[in-house]
Amino acid sequence: MVRVKSRYLLCEVNVSDRSRLLLLDDRAVAATVKAAVARIHGDYGAALCSIRFSVKYLNAHTGIVFLRFPKKCYRLLWSALPFITCIETRGQKISCFLNCLHVGGTMRTCQKFLIRYNTQQLHRMLPKCKNEEEKQQVQKAILNCSLTGRNKEAFEVESESEEDEEEE
Amino acid sequence: MSAAKVKMRGKKMRNQPASVQYPSSLLNAESSPKNGGDTPVTGKGVHEGPSDVHPFTARPKNPHQRGGWVRGHQKDGGGYAKEMSKYITAGPFARARAAEVSTMLKAVTKTTGSCHVFGALPKHMRRRAMSHNTKRLPRRLRDAANRMREKSLQAGSKKKKEQAKSKSRKARRRHGNLLLEFNRRQRKNVWLETHIWHAKRFHMVKKWGYCLGDRPTYKCYRPSYRAMSSHCLLQDLSYYCCIELQGEEDKLLASLSQLCSKEAGPTFAAAVCLSGRRQGSVVVYRAGLYPSQPLGPVTFLWRPRTQGSAHRQLWIWAHPNMKQDLLPELQAVCQCCEAVVPPVLPVVTPAEVVPTVEPEPKPEKTAEAKQVTGTKRKRTFKDAGGPPAKKILGDGTRSPTTSVTWKSSSNGIVINDLTMEIVRYRLIGPQSHSVLAETMEPATDCDEMNKSQPSSLWWPEHCKNQSKMNLHREQADVFHILKGLYSTGELPSGTVLGLTVDDPRLTLPTKKVKALPCVKQAQEVDEEKTRELMLRGVPEHCCQSYLWEQSVRDNVTENKISEQELNRMRSEVLVPGSRLSPTPLQGRVPVLLVHQPGKQLGHEMSSWGAGWDLLLPKGWGMAFWVPLVYRGVHIGGLNMSLKHSQNKGAPHFPHDYPDCPAGVRFQEEQETQLLDKFKRRPPAKRTNYIKHGCLAPFCCPWQQLAEEWELISRQGGEERKGDQTQTTAEADALMTSHGDIPVTKPPSRVTVLRNRKSLRVLSGWCRPTTSKGQRRCRVGEVPPLDRLALTSFLTAHGMSLVWVRLSILSKGKPELHAMVCAPTAEDLKLLKKESFSGPQEPTHKDHFKSRIRRRKKAPKKAATSSLCRDKAEGKESELPSASEPNPATSEDAKSSSQSPSHLVVGLWPDPLPSVTAHCSRVTLGWVTQGDFSLSAGCGEALGFVSVAGLLNTLLNQPMEHRGMLLLRDPTSLHYRFAKINIEV
Repeated sequence: MVRVKSRYLLCEVNVSDRSRLLLLDDRAVAATVKAAVARIHGDYGAALCSIRFSVKYLNAHTGIVFLRFPKKCYRLLWSALPFITCIETRGQKISCFLNCLHVGGTMRTCQKFLIRYNTQQLHRMLPKCKNEEEKQQVQKAILNCSLTGRNKEAFEVESESEEDEEEE
Repeated sequence: MSAAKVKMRGKKMRNQPASVQYPSSLLNAESSPKNGGDTPVTGKGVHEGPSDVHPFTARPKNPHQRGGWVRGHQKDGGGYAKEMSKYITAGPFARARAAEVSTMLKAVTKTTGSCHVFGALPKHMRRRAMSHNTKRLPRRLRDAANRMREKSLQAGSKKKKEQAKSKSRKARRRHGNLLLEFNRRQRKNVWLETHIWHAKRFHMVKKWGYCLGDRPTYKCYRPSYRAMSSHCLLQDLSYYCCIELQGEEDKLLASLSQLCSKEAGPTFAAAVCLSGRRQGSVVVYRAGLYPSQPLGPVTFLWRPRTQGSAHRQLWIWAHPNMKQDLLPELQAVCQCCEAVVPPVLPVVTPAEVVPTVEPEPKPEKTAEAKQVTGTKRKRTFKDAGGPPAKKILGDGTRSPTTSVTWKSSSNGIVINDLTMEIVRYRLIGPQSHSVLAETMEPATDCDEMNKSQPSSLWWPEHCKNQSKMNLHREQADVFHILKGLYSTGELPSGTVLGLTVDDPRLTLPTKKVKALPCVKQAQEVDEEKTRELMLRGVPEHCCQSYLWEQSVRDNVTENKISEQELNRMRSEVLVPGSRLSPTPLQGRVPVLLVHQPGKQLGHEMSSWGAGWDLLLPKGWGMAFWVPLVYRGVHIGGLNMSLKHSQNKGAPHFPHDYPDCPAGVRFQEEQETQLLDKFKRRPPAKRTNYIKHGCLAPFCCPWQQLAEEWELISRQGGEERKGDQTQTTAEADALMTSHGDIPVTKPPSRVTVLRNRKSLRVLSGWCRPTTSKGQRRCRVGEVPPLDRLALTSFLTAHGMSLVWVRLSILSKGKPELHAMVCAPTAEDLKLLKKESFSGPQEPTHKDHFKSRIRRRKKAPKKAATSSLCRDKAEGKESELPSASEPNPATSEDAKSSSQSPSHLVVGLWPDPLPSVTAHCSRVTLGWVTQGDFSLSAGCGEALGFVSVAGLLNTLLNQPMEHRGMLLLRDPTSLHYRFAKINIEV
């Protein structure tokens, strides 16, 4: 109804050197995006980027980033993302590029998409496993995902709510 | 952020995924990640952090310590830390994804925000009042919801004490409980007997310790006025306080004579009033201080003399606002300082009641002893199981042990506070007498059988005495003659008639009817008698009433038939709707009818608003009220009594008594009230009174006005002395007055001129412009207005104000606190032109606005330093503002010295400049009541002007325009011409 509308970009940080992925942090990503926008779109872009732009979520292991842009100008800001070639963090440059997977109106849709995307990936991985050990690990991971999906989730709700109550 | 807010936020965000990233310190410590790291960690990475890692950094899941919204950044040292394997391995890769998926799943399935269980439900499954009634939830969620609910209930009870269970409406409305509640509510403010009736129909206000009806909720301004001028308007004036004085006539008169002066009109000793035939009214002053320090107006009523006894009884009726001033003064004057503790528990059985009319000294016991017995007896009474709730009659706020009687040991005067003991209704209008005549019937005699038996009721005992019955018959005759009158105003003002009447509930009509006079038939019968009544009033012995006797009053109050009982008796009548016969013996009520004079001042509309006051014993209020209402009268509240006196041209207490303590109190109240109302408006929508040149829109500075005018007139006198050769005596008088005034100045307070002679002179000087062009025939009495007369008049009344009525010549409606100004000579010349409606005031400049603005800006600049600076500047500011060497610094100093609370946009800050010469026309006074007068058909204003100012103005006016003044509303710049009337 009446609310401030945004667009959430679900991006994947693709790095050449995977070991440096762990160095990522949300400030660095935000600064990089801002810099890129300023470079491509000038002051106007920088100004747009300063309002209600934020990195909502970052997973340093998987390299998944949620970016929030104002809905009014998200296309403009989005157009600057391909020009990012490296992220400077902790004094180091991580060469990378951002791959946008999904654009959503809410965090929730992005999260849903991410769930689907990740499980899909795991499923794809499964037949390509090289040895038994790997296969088992992937299977376990898939089970983890899917189990949490229905039955386990219901239990978890119960147990967690109890936990919460004890905490409070 | 406050702790509660943090908690709320944490709760909201606890299911949201937090970013998974590593601060540098953690990386340095070579810890393993938690949210499914790529490092080969056995088991679920999510829940297994190494023990040496601090949970703060390692558990993004814990929302309280690390929510997604708290960015726990540490300044990194840039140290390189963690090796991630260079190539992708399936296991960690899959684990990382799986962990992410599970966190996301959690975030998606559990809604954020509300912690209610039904938040998890999709919108289309939510139902109204789910949180209240868990059965509306799907069964799987019920348990959780119940738990949640219990928890919230517990939390609620922990915080605040469990509220007392309010009873059901039915229980609350049950009679006994309702009475208890009513009694609780009238502990603070006294309720009149008609309170419930009024509360259903009126806007009630709490004033002077009473709950009073201000104005009806329905629209009735004009109907009420019409009722006053052509039919009858009813008001409940029971809140007026009655003070009874008993004692020897000469002693009473001697002590009361200190309170008033003959100069201001008839006093307590006026012969007509003293005989008991008329009610008198007088303005009471502090003992022996006649022209200064008035207390307020009172009306008084003497009880007619009984044969061969010098003992008299006097009722003084005063407004409750002045009672606190009046009562100590009366006690001082009568030397009544001994408080007589009231007899506890008035269990009235008429046999044992000692009539207090006789001044027999009550047995003198020490107060303590009596009080002790009193409380004890009360307790026992309660234990005995008396009715738990009893309707309060009389003053509910007063404790029963408060003394209401004071007696003097030296002169035998007894003062009795009869507040709320007597009900007083006021009927205003020319048809009041027909309403009364229709409502009340003289008491019927009781039959022989009843007479012979001894009775606990007063009337049968009374009937045995033949002389009393004769008196009753005469009074009834007089009452019958009343019906033949055309208008209430025909009677001599203040006439009193005692009467005993039947219970008016018995003759209650089934429908509301309008009481109309039956002049025709009555005229034929006894025109002689009517004429005599109109000329002479009621004969003296008919003014006697048994309302004066406390024993009778108490008896009547105690033995009133309850409404319920009466209805039961009615239902037993054979023919439904017929009158009860024989009339039950309890229903005989002594009443007192007091004629209320109408407009006495002035020459137009004389005796407008005359009427009757009906005095009843307490407890009978509603029994008379409803029958009166059924006679088609209109009911008025406080608002209407103000309009009544305004139309009469009489000052209304306490509005128009600025020199009385009650009036001063009222003015202060009114000022705060008006100021509050003013401040409630948004600043941009407020009237800027400074620009309108209105110094005091809310409270009139009478004292300042009078002082300034005295100064002006004195200066005028001195100038005259320079060019005119005056007699030395006068000069001496001036000099002495000039000399001693600075000494006497502080105590000299402004007073209102009430000296009849001086008023008459003043009134003569204001002519020939009585309003509507009516001229009085005998003008010659007053001395001509010249310098000499003026000076002598001013030496006597220089500091006085005078009550004036101003009627506007053209259109315009004067408002409250409109300014009365003196026109210039040019104005009067222009007045001859038809089209000229009045001069205009140029708009004033608001110098204070900029200061307020600066003041507002200042705190922004130096919020912290202002405090200490203010203190320093406050001291400094005294010096420059006193001397005012250059405007800039003094202005600054002023703005800083005046705290912003004092500076209100559009109002002059407190030390007012000269009020007289502030505008282009000289201010003489202000209006205290102004409205469009329905009786005169033009705007009329009542107010006070300074005597000195008025006389100086009149002196300079040409004869044909004498008495022409200007009126200007506080919110307008337009002056209107008005004629001044001083009515004696």
